[in-house]
Amino acid sequence: MDATLLLKIIAGAGALVVGYFAVKALYEEWPKTALEDQVTKIMMALLTLGCVIVLTVAFGIAGKV
Amino acid sequence: MATHALQVSDAEYQEVRSHRLLGFLFFLISDSILFCSFIFSYLYDRSASPMWPPAGVERPGLYLAAVNSIVLFGSGVTMHLAMEAWRHANRTRFTQYIIATIVLGIGFLSGQAYEYTHLHDTWWGSVFGASFFTLTGMHGFHVFIGVCFLITVLLQARNGVYDQNRYFGLTAATLYWHFVDVIWVALFFLFYVY
Repeated sequence: MDATLLLKIIAGAGALVVGYFAVKALYEEWPKTALEDQVTKIMMALLTLGCVIVLTVAFGIAGKV
Repeated sequence: MATHALQVSDAEYQEVRSHRLLGFLFFLISDSILFCSFIFSYLYDRSASPMWPPAGVERPGLYLAAVNSIVLFGSGVTMHLAMEAWRHANRTRFTQYIIATIVLGIGFLSGQAYEYTHLHDTWWGSVFGASFFTLTGMHGFHVFIGVCFLITVLLQARNGVYDQNRYFGLTAATLYWHFVDVIWVALFFLFYVY
């Protein structure tokens, strides 16, 4: 298998799995109101954004080779 | 030190904890400003250049960086799960998740080391190289410090420094690790996607 294709598949599958857990964590954190929980919400939302970016790269929508 | 901490009443501990948390958040904010200043410097150089990367400079590998990013983002999730396991008094899961986070952090650093050794550009070779190595190197250093932080926190947790209600070190380590993750989202976008 082509190495680039393999890396794309790993990145895409990884982004889906990590993104799922990040969204789940964000959903579970949502009702909490302590200061560190509010920060965690922001961090998890940005982590989800990171997974979306990697997903777009894996699908060839974004990124410059 | 642990014995001394336990002698403080819960009310006193909560007050001190809130101050420490605020102080730690200010540290993270100051660290973000440091990264932002370098990022804006990079964007300025980029906008001033007629083509980017400059002629003759090769872009770093996109897909390897994408996989490496997922390794780091995955470590953010395992760190969050470690923190939740601690809050639910599941020490075995906590240890497993924090070890997974450390391993993924080391994996990310290894991926970065591989990338550095296979790039044709250098720190002094071009503006792109200078920006790339400065920002990703600074981030890599933060990841290294984070790995050391996590190992320390794991050893402290195993030695009984933290208990079910007093675990500020764990909270700080979790916030620091999330911060390192989020900075990488920006760097990955800037150097590989944008």
